[in-house]
Amino acid sequence: MSVFLRYIPSVLLVLLLFLMLRNRAYKVCPWFFAYVAFGVGADVARFIVDSDQHAYYATYWITEAGYCVLGILAMYEVFRSVLRARSWWTYAIFPVIVIAAVILSLTHACAVPPQVGGLLLYIVTAEIVVRFVQVLIFLGLGVLAAFFGLRWRQYPLGIAAGFGLYATVALLSTIKFSDFGTRFAFLWKMSSVVAYSLTVLIWIWFFRTPREEEPPLDPKLVAHYIAVLEQYMGWMRRMR
Amino acid sequence: MIFSIVTWLILSCSALELVYLLYLAWSSTRVPKLVLGDVIHFLYPVDSSLLASLVDPAADFELCWNLSPRSFREEQRRRMRLYRELLGRMAHNSAVLAEFDNAMRGNVAGPGSKLQEAAVKVRLYCMFSRGKLRLWLWLPSAFGAVVPPKLARLRIAADLDGLQVYEELKVAAAEAFAQLRPAELEALTHNL
Repeated sequence: MSVFLRYIPSVLLVLLLFLMLRNRAYKVCPWFFAYVAFGVGADVARFIVDSDQHAYYATYWITEAGYCVLGILAMYEVFRSVLRARSWWTYAIFPVIVIAAVILSLTHACAVPPQVGGLLLYIVTAEIVVRFVQVLIFLGLGVLAAFFGLRWRQYPLGIAAGFGLYATVALLSTIKFSDFGTRFAFLWKMSSVVAYSLTVLIWIWFFRTPREEEPPLDPKLVAHYIAVLEQYMGWMRRMR
Repeated sequence: MIFSIVTWLILSCSALELVYLLYLAWSSTRVPKLVLGDVIHFLYPVDSSLLASLVDPAADFELCWNLSPRSFREEQRRRMRLYRELLGRMAHNSAVLAEFDNAMRGNVAGPGSKLQEAAVKVRLYCMFSRGKLRLWLWLPSAFGAVVPPKLARLRIAADLDGLQVYEELKVAAAEAFAQLRPAELEALTHNL
Protein backbone atom coordinates (compact mmCIF):
# COMPACT_ATOMS: atom_id res chain seq x y z
CA MET A 1 0.00 0.00 0.00
CA SER A 2 1.36 3.40 -0.93
CA VAL A 3 2.43 5.91 1.69
CA PHE A 4 -0.18 8.32 0.31
CA LEU A 5 -3.04 5.92 1.04
CA ARG A 6 -1.63 4.98 4.42
CA TYR A 7 -1.54 8.58 5.61
CA ILE A 8 -4.96 9.72 4.35
CA PRO A 9 -6.48 9.22 7.85
CA SER A 10 -3.63 11.27 9.32
CA VAL A 11 -4.46 14.23 7.07
CA LEU A 12 -8.11 13.91 8.05
CA LEU A 13 -7.10 13.73 11.73
CA VAL A 14 -5.20 17.02 11.37
CA LEU A 15 -8.34 18.60 9.91
CA LEU A 16 -10.39 17.18 12.78
CA LEU A 17 -7.91 18.53 15.33
CA PHE A 18 -8.12 21.96 13.69
CA LEU A 19 -11.94 21.89 13.78
CA MET A 20 -11.95 20.82 17.42
CA LEU A 21 -9.57 23.62 18.32
CA ARG A 22 -11.56 26.17 16.34
CA ASN A 23 -14.85 25.12 17.93
CA ARG A 24 -13.30 24.71 21.38
CA ALA A 25 -14.71 21.19 21.47
CA TYR A 26 -11.96 20.20 23.92
CA LYS A 27 -14.10 21.78 26.63
CA VAL A 28 -16.91 19.32 25.91
CA CYS A 29 -14.89 16.15 25.33
CA PRO A 30 -11.31 16.62 26.59
CA TRP A 31 -10.35 12.93 26.46
CA PHE A 32 -11.48 12.59 22.89
CA PHE A 33 -9.52 15.73 22.06
CA ALA A 34 -6.48 14.11 23.72
CA TYR A 35 -7.13 10.99 21.61
CA VAL A 36 -7.17 13.01 18.37
CA ALA A 37 -4.09 15.04 19.35
CA PHE A 38 -2.30 11.82 20.28
CA GLY A 39 -3.36 10.31 16.93
CA VAL A 40 -1.81 13.22 15.04
CA GLY A 41 1.37 12.99 17.15
CA ALA A 42 1.57 9.21 16.70
CA ASP A 43 1.17 9.47 12.92
CA VAL A 44 3.88 12.13 12.74
CA ALA A 45 6.20 9.90 14.80
CA ARG A 46 5.45 6.88 12.59
CA PHE A 47 6.05 8.94 9.45
CA ILE A 48 9.42 10.16 10.76
CA VAL A 49 10.69 6.66 11.55
CA ASP A 50 9.06 5.08 8.49
CA SER A 51 12.37 4.19 6.85
CA ASP A 52 13.89 2.52 9.95
CA GLN A 53 12.21 -0.85 10.44
CA HIS A 54 13.18 -1.37 14.12
CA ALA A 55 12.31 2.15 15.15
CA TYR A 56 9.00 1.95 13.27
CA TYR A 57 8.18 -1.36 14.99
CA ALA A 58 8.83 0.10 18.44
CA THR A 59 7.00 3.34 17.68
CA TYR A 60 4.03 1.47 16.21
CA TRP A 61 3.45 -0.71 19.25
CA ILE A 62 4.08 2.05 21.79
CA THR A 63 1.56 4.28 20.04
CA GLU A 64 -0.91 1.38 19.77
CA ALA A 65 -0.74 1.02 23.56
CA GLY A 66 -1.43 4.77 23.83
CA TYR A 67 -4.42 4.41 21.50
CA CYS A 68 -5.79 1.63 23.74
CA VAL A 69 -5.63 3.74 26.90
CA LEU A 70 -7.02 6.90 25.29
CA GLY A 71 -9.66 4.90 23.40
CA ILE A 72 -11.02 3.53 26.68
CA LEU A 73 -10.92 6.96 28.35
CA ALA A 74 -12.69 8.59 25.38
CA MET A 75 -15.43 5.95 25.49
CA TYR A 76 -15.84 6.44 29.24
CA GLU A 77 -16.20 10.17 28.64
CA VAL A 78 -18.80 9.57 25.92
CA PHE A 79 -20.74 7.20 28.16
CA ARG A 80 -20.73 9.58 31.14
CA SER A 81 -21.73 12.58 29.07
CA VAL A 82 -24.84 10.77 27.79
CA LEU A 83 -25.81 9.05 31.02
CA ARG A 84 -25.09 11.74 33.59
CA ALA A 85 -27.34 10.47 36.36
CA ARG A 86 -25.12 10.19 39.43
CA SER A 87 -26.34 6.85 40.63
CA TRP A 88 -24.29 3.84 41.70
CA TRP A 89 -25.72 1.70 38.89
CA THR A 90 -24.69 4.19 36.19
CA TYR A 91 -21.13 4.00 37.54
CA ALA A 92 -21.34 0.20 37.48
CA ILE A 93 -22.34 -0.13 33.81
CA PHE A 94 -18.97 0.86 32.34
CA PRO A 95 -16.87 -1.56 34.43
CA VAL A 96 -19.35 -4.33 33.58
CA ILE A 97 -18.88 -3.56 29.86
CA VAL A 98 -15.09 -3.59 30.28
CA ILE A 99 -15.22 -6.92 32.14
CA ALA A 100 -17.43 -8.41 29.40
CA ALA A 101 -14.97 -7.14 26.77
CA VAL A 102 -12.02 -8.63 28.69
CA ILE A 103 -13.79 -12.00 28.88
CA LEU A 104 -14.56 -11.93 25.14
CA SER A 105 -11.01 -10.90 24.30
CA LEU A 106 -9.43 -13.58 26.52
CA THR A 107 -11.75 -16.22 25.09
CA HIS A 108 -10.61 -15.21 21.63
CA ALA A 109 -6.96 -15.24 22.71
CA CYS A 110 -7.41 -18.79 24.05
CA ALA A 111 -9.19 -19.98 20.91
CA VAL A 112 -6.85 -18.27 18.43
CA PRO A 113 -3.58 -17.34 20.19
CA PRO A 114 -2.03 -14.17 18.71
CA GLN A 115 1.21 -14.71 16.74
CA VAL A 116 3.15 -12.38 19.05
CA GLY A 117 4.70 -12.84 22.44
CA GLY A 118 5.71 -10.87 25.53
CA LEU A 119 4.45 -7.35 25.89
CA LEU A 120 2.96 -7.34 22.38
CA LEU A 121 0.60 -10.14 23.37
CA TYR A 122 -0.89 -7.88 26.04
CA ILE A 123 -1.15 -4.95 23.65
CA VAL A 124 -2.95 -7.04 21.00
CA THR A 125 -5.33 -8.48 23.62
CA ALA A 126 -5.93 -4.99 25.02
CA GLU A 127 -6.68 -3.71 21.52
CA ILE A 128 -9.40 -6.32 21.11
CA VAL A 129 -10.76 -5.38 24.55
CA VAL A 130 -10.93 -1.73 23.49
CA ARG A 131 -12.69 -2.63 20.23
CA PHE A 132 -15.26 -4.70 22.11
CA VAL A 133 -15.79 -1.86 24.58
CA GLN A 134 -16.28 0.59 21.71
CA VAL A 135 -18.77 -1.65 19.93
CA LEU A 136 -20.69 -2.46 23.11
CA ILE A 137 -20.92 1.19 24.15
CA PHE A 138 -21.97 2.16 20.64
CA LEU A 139 -24.73 -0.46 20.83
CA GLY A 140 -25.76 0.64 24.33
CA LEU A 141 -25.89 4.31 23.39
CA GLY A 142 -27.91 3.44 20.28
CA VAL A 143 -30.51 1.68 22.40
CA LEU A 144 -30.46 4.55 24.89
CA ALA A 145 -30.87 7.18 22.17
CA ALA A 146 -33.73 5.28 20.53
CA PHE A 147 -35.48 4.67 23.85
CA PHE A 148 -35.10 8.18 25.24
CA GLY A 149 -35.55 9.95 21.90
CA LEU A 150 -32.14 11.62 22.14
CA ARG A 151 -30.83 13.49 19.15
CA TRP A 152 -27.99 11.76 17.36
CA ARG A 153 -26.41 15.00 16.30
CA GLN A 154 -24.52 15.59 19.49
CA TYR A 155 -20.78 15.23 19.95
CA PRO A 156 -20.75 12.20 22.28
CA LEU A 157 -23.01 10.14 20.04
CA GLY A 158 -21.00 11.19 16.99
CA ILE A 159 -17.81 10.02 18.68
CA ALA A 160 -19.51 6.73 19.59
CA ALA A 161 -20.77 6.27 16.02
CA GLY A 162 -17.25 6.79 14.63
CA PHE A 163 -15.68 4.39 17.09
CA GLY A 164 -18.56 1.95 16.51
CA LEU A 165 -17.91 1.85 12.78
CA TYR A 166 -14.16 1.45 13.12
CA ALA A 167 -14.36 -1.10 15.92
CA THR A 168 -16.90 -3.20 14.00
CA VAL A 169 -14.67 -3.35 10.93
CA ALA A 170 -11.54 -3.88 13.05
CA LEU A 171 -13.15 -6.74 15.00
CA LEU A 172 -14.49 -8.32 11.83
CA SER A 173 -11.09 -8.18 10.19
CA THR A 174 -9.08 -9.14 13.29
CA ILE A 175 -11.25 -11.88 14.70
CA LYS A 176 -13.08 -13.33 11.75
CA PHE A 177 -11.29 -12.63 8.50
CA SER A 178 -7.88 -13.47 9.96
CA ASP A 179 -9.03 -17.09 9.63
CA PHE A 180 -8.46 -16.72 5.90
CA GLY A 181 -4.69 -16.65 6.43
CA THR A 182 -1.90 -14.40 5.21
CA ARG A 183 -3.54 -13.73 1.82
CA PHE A 184 -5.91 -11.54 3.75
CA ALA A 185 -3.10 -9.18 4.90
CA PHE A 186 -3.57 -6.67 2.09
CA LEU A 187 -7.35 -6.63 2.45
CA TRP A 188 -6.95 -6.23 6.22
CA LYS A 189 -4.75 -3.16 5.79
CA MET A 190 -7.06 -1.67 3.17
CA SER A 191 -10.20 -2.23 5.23
CA SER A 192 -8.51 -0.67 8.26
CA VAL A 193 -7.46 2.44 6.33
CA VAL A 194 -10.86 2.84 4.65
CA ALA A 195 -12.78 2.27 7.91
CA TYR A 196 -10.56 4.66 9.87
CA SER A 197 -10.86 7.31 7.15
CA LEU A 198 -14.65 6.96 7.23
CA THR A 199 -14.55 7.17 11.01
CA VAL A 200 -12.56 10.41 10.95
CA LEU A 201 -14.93 11.76 8.30
CA ILE A 202 -17.88 11.03 10.60
CA TRP A 203 -16.12 12.90 13.41
CA ILE A 204 -15.32 15.79 11.09
CA TRP A 205 -18.97 15.96 10.10
CA PHE A 206 -20.02 16.12 13.75
CA PHE A 207 -17.39 18.67 14.78
CA ARG A 208 -17.60 20.87 11.71
CA THR A 209 -20.13 23.27 13.18
CA PRO A 210 -19.09 25.76 15.86
CA ARG A 211 -20.20 24.98 19.36
CA GLU A 212 -23.06 27.16 20.49
CA GLU A 213 -22.14 29.06 23.63
CA GLU A 214 -25.15 29.03 25.91
CA PRO A 215 -25.81 32.60 27.03
CA PRO A 216 -25.85 33.18 30.78
CA LEU A 217 -29.46 33.12 31.91
CA ASP A 218 -31.12 35.71 34.02
CA PRO A 219 -32.71 33.83 36.97
CA LYS A 220 -35.59 36.34 37.00
CA LEU A 221 -36.34 35.57 33.36
CA VAL A 222 -36.26 31.83 34.03
CA ALA A 223 -38.60 32.29 37.00
CA HIS A 224 -40.90 34.33 34.78
CA TYR A 225 -41.08 31.60 32.14
CA ILE A 226 -41.67 28.91 34.74
CA ALA A 227 -44.51 31.02 36.10
CA VAL A 228 -46.00 31.42 32.62
CA LEU A 229 -45.67 27.67 32.04
CA GLU A 230 -47.36 26.92 35.36
CA GLN A 231 -50.13 29.39 34.51
CA TYR A 232 -50.77 27.68 31.21
CA MET A 233 -50.80 24.27 32.86
CA GLY A 234 -53.35 25.65 35.33
CA TRP A 235 -55.58 26.72 32.46
CA MET A 236 -55.30 23.31 30.87
CA ARG A 237 -56.16 21.64 34.17
CA ARG A 238 -59.34 23.72 34.47
CA MET A 239 -60.31 23.00 30.87
CA ARG A 240 -60.23 19.23 31.44
CA MET B 1 -18.64 -21.83 19.78
CA ILE B 2 -20.50 -19.55 22.22
CA PHE B 3 -17.79 -16.92 21.78
CA SER B 4 -18.26 -17.08 18.03
CA ILE B 5 -22.05 -16.71 18.29
CA VAL B 6 -21.77 -13.82 20.76
CA THR B 7 -19.19 -12.04 18.60
CA TRP B 8 -21.27 -12.42 15.46
CA LEU B 9 -24.34 -11.23 17.34
CA ILE B 10 -22.54 -8.13 18.62
CA LEU B 11 -21.07 -7.33 15.21
CA SER B 12 -24.39 -7.85 13.42
CA CYS B 13 -26.18 -5.57 15.89
CA SER B 14 -23.48 -2.95 15.44
CA ALA B 15 -23.76 -3.16 11.66
CA LEU B 16 -27.56 -2.87 11.91
CA GLU B 17 -27.19 0.18 14.13
CA LEU B 18 -24.89 1.80 11.58
CA VAL B 19 -27.54 1.19 8.91
CA TYR B 20 -30.15 2.66 11.26
CA LEU B 21 -27.97 5.77 11.69
CA LEU B 22 -27.76 6.16 7.94
CA TYR B 23 -31.55 5.86 7.78
CA LEU B 24 -31.87 8.54 10.51
CA ALA B 25 -29.56 10.85 8.59
CA TRP B 26 -31.63 10.28 5.44
CA SER B 27 -35.01 10.64 7.13
CA SER B 28 -34.09 13.70 9.23
CA THR B 29 -34.75 15.96 6.28
CA ARG B 30 -38.05 14.30 5.41
CA VAL B 31 -39.92 13.66 8.65
CA PRO B 32 -41.87 16.73 9.82
CA LYS B 33 -40.48 18.12 13.05
CA LEU B 34 -42.26 19.27 16.15
CA VAL B 35 -42.79 23.01 15.82
CA LEU B 36 -42.86 25.47 18.65
CA GLY B 37 -46.60 26.05 18.46
CA ASP B 38 -47.28 22.36 18.94
CA VAL B 39 -45.13 21.77 21.99
CA ILE B 40 -47.54 23.15 24.56
CA HIS B 41 -50.47 21.23 23.08
CA PHE B 42 -48.53 17.99 23.34
CA LEU B 43 -47.73 18.44 27.03
CA TYR B 44 -49.95 16.81 29.67
CA PRO B 45 -50.47 18.68 32.92
CA VAL B 46 -48.73 17.22 35.96
CA ASP B 47 -49.99 18.53 39.28
CA SER B 48 -46.83 19.07 41.33
CA SER B 49 -48.70 19.29 44.63
CA LEU B 50 -50.57 16.05 43.93
CA LEU B 51 -47.30 14.41 42.94
CA ALA B 52 -45.66 15.53 46.17
CA SER B 53 -48.64 14.49 48.30
CA LEU B 54 -48.67 10.98 46.83
CA VAL B 55 -45.07 10.28 47.79
CA ASP B 56 -45.29 12.05 51.12
CA PRO B 57 -44.41 9.59 53.94
CA ALA B 58 -46.76 11.49 56.26
CA ALA B 59 -49.72 10.72 53.96
CA ASP B 60 -48.91 7.01 54.04
CA PHE B 61 -48.64 7.12 57.81
CA GLU B 62 -51.85 9.09 58.23
CA LEU B 63 -53.84 6.75 55.99
CA CYS B 64 -52.44 3.69 57.71
CA TRP B 65 -53.33 5.20 61.10
CA ASN B 66 -56.86 6.34 60.25
CA LEU B 67 -58.17 3.59 57.96
CA SER B 68 -58.96 -0.05 58.50
CA PRO B 69 -56.47 -2.48 56.88
CA ARG B 70 -58.94 -3.26 54.08
CA SER B 71 -59.74 0.41 53.38
CA PHE B 72 -56.04 1.24 53.53
CA ARG B 73 -55.28 -1.44 50.91
CA GLU B 74 -57.98 -0.06 48.62
CA GLU B 75 -56.85 3.51 49.16
CA GLN B 76 -53.23 2.59 48.46
CA ARG B 77 -54.21 0.88 45.20
CA ARG B 78 -56.17 3.96 44.19
CA ARG B 79 -53.18 6.17 44.93
CA MET B 80 -50.88 3.80 43.07
CA ARG B 81 -53.01 4.01 39.95
CA LEU B 82 -53.06 7.79 40.28
CA TYR B 83 -49.29 7.89 40.64
CA ARG B 84 -48.89 5.57 37.64
CA GLU B 85 -50.94 8.00 35.58
CA LEU B 86 -48.77 10.92 36.70
CA LEU B 87 -45.63 8.94 35.88
CA GLY B 88 -46.98 8.28 32.41
CA ARG B 89 -47.56 11.99 31.91
CA MET B 90 -44.09 12.86 33.21
CA ALA B 91 -42.48 10.37 30.83
CA HIS B 92 -44.59 11.68 27.97
CA ASN B 93 -43.73 15.32 28.72
CA SER B 94 -40.02 14.53 28.91
CA ALA B 95 -40.22 12.78 25.52
CA VAL B 96 -42.03 15.77 23.98
CA LEU B 97 -39.50 18.22 25.40
CA ALA B 98 -36.59 16.09 24.17
CA GLU B 99 -38.17 16.05 20.71
CA PHE B 100 -38.68 19.81 20.90
CA ASP B 101 -35.01 20.22 21.81
CA ASN B 102 -34.06 18.09 18.79
CA ALA B 103 -36.25 20.18 16.52
CA MET B 104 -34.97 23.45 17.99
CA ARG B 105 -31.36 22.49 17.29
CA GLY B 106 -32.12 21.33 13.77
CA ASN B 107 -29.49 19.45 11.81
CA VAL B 108 -26.59 21.16 13.54
CA ALA B 109 -24.32 18.88 15.57
CA GLY B 110 -23.19 20.01 18.99
CA PRO B 111 -22.81 19.05 22.61
CA GLY B 112 -25.73 17.56 24.52
CA SER B 113 -28.15 19.95 26.17
CA LYS B 114 -29.44 20.34 29.73
CA LEU B 115 -32.95 19.64 28.50
CA GLN B 116 -31.96 16.28 27.03
CA GLU B 117 -30.02 15.40 30.15
CA ALA B 118 -33.00 16.25 32.36
CA ALA B 119 -35.35 14.34 30.04
CA VAL B 120 -33.16 11.23 30.31
CA LYS B 121 -33.26 11.41 34.11
CA VAL B 122 -37.04 11.76 34.17
CA ARG B 123 -37.48 8.86 31.74
CA LEU B 124 -35.17 6.69 33.81
CA TYR B 125 -37.02 7.53 37.02
CA CYS B 126 -40.40 6.91 35.40
CA MET B 127 -39.26 3.62 33.89
CA PHE B 128 -38.05 2.21 37.21
CA SER B 129 -40.98 3.58 39.24
CA ARG B 130 -43.56 2.28 36.78
CA GLY B 131 -41.87 -1.10 36.86
CA LYS B 132 -42.19 -1.21 40.64
CA LEU B 133 -45.77 0.04 40.54
CA ARG B 134 -46.75 -2.49 37.91
CA LEU B 135 -45.32 -5.24 40.07
CA TRP B 136 -47.19 -4.00 43.13
CA LEU B 137 -50.44 -3.71 41.21
CA TRP B 138 -50.03 -7.14 39.64
CA LEU B 139 -49.90 -8.81 43.01
CA PRO B 140 -53.23 -7.88 44.55
CA SER B 141 -53.70 -11.08 46.50
CA ALA B 142 -50.42 -10.66 48.30
CA PHE B 143 -51.69 -7.47 49.89
CA GLY B 144 -54.17 -9.47 51.89
CA ALA B 145 -51.36 -11.16 53.74
CA VAL B 146 -48.69 -8.47 53.82
CA VAL B 147 -48.78 -4.78 54.56
CA PRO B 148 -49.40 -2.71 51.37
CA PRO B 149 -46.22 -1.00 50.17
CA LYS B 150 -45.78 2.64 51.05
CA LEU B 151 -45.96 4.99 48.10
CA ALA B 152 -43.29 7.20 49.68
CA ARG B 153 -40.78 4.49 48.75
CA LEU B 154 -41.33 5.47 45.13
CA ARG B 155 -40.03 8.97 45.59
CA ILE B 156 -36.56 7.66 44.89
CA ALA B 157 -36.11 5.11 42.13
CA ALA B 158 -32.84 4.14 40.44
CA ASP B 159 -31.15 6.57 42.86
CA LEU B 160 -33.12 9.44 41.32
CA ASP B 161 -35.48 11.67 43.28
CA GLY B 162 -38.64 11.87 41.14
CA LEU B 163 -39.79 15.29 42.29
CA GLN B 164 -36.32 16.76 41.98
CA VAL B 165 -35.63 15.43 38.48
CA TYR B 166 -39.02 16.64 37.25
CA GLU B 167 -38.31 20.11 38.66
CA GLU B 168 -34.94 20.01 36.88
CA LEU B 169 -36.77 19.19 33.64
CA LYS B 170 -39.11 22.14 34.14
CA VAL B 171 -36.22 24.51 34.77
CA ALA B 172 -34.33 23.17 31.73
CA ALA B 173 -37.47 23.59 29.59
CA ALA B 174 -37.93 27.12 30.85
CA GLU B 175 -34.28 27.85 30.06
CA ALA B 176 -34.70 26.43 26.57
CA PHE B 177 -37.73 28.65 26.03
CA ALA B 178 -35.78 31.62 27.36
CA GLN B 179 -33.08 31.06 24.75
CA LEU B 180 -35.54 31.45 21.90
CA ARG B 181 -35.51 34.49 19.70
CA PRO B 182 -38.02 37.27 20.49
CA ALA B 183 -40.35 36.28 17.62
CA GLU B 184 -40.39 32.67 18.81
CA LEU B 185 -40.92 33.77 22.40
CA GLU B 186 -43.83 35.87 21.23
CA ALA B 187 -45.31 32.83 19.51
CA LEU B 188 -44.82 30.75 22.62
CA THR B 189 -46.37 33.27 24.99
CA HIS B 190 -49.21 33.73 22.52
CA ASN B 191 -49.84 30.01 22.64
CA LEU B 192 -49.53 29.98 26.39
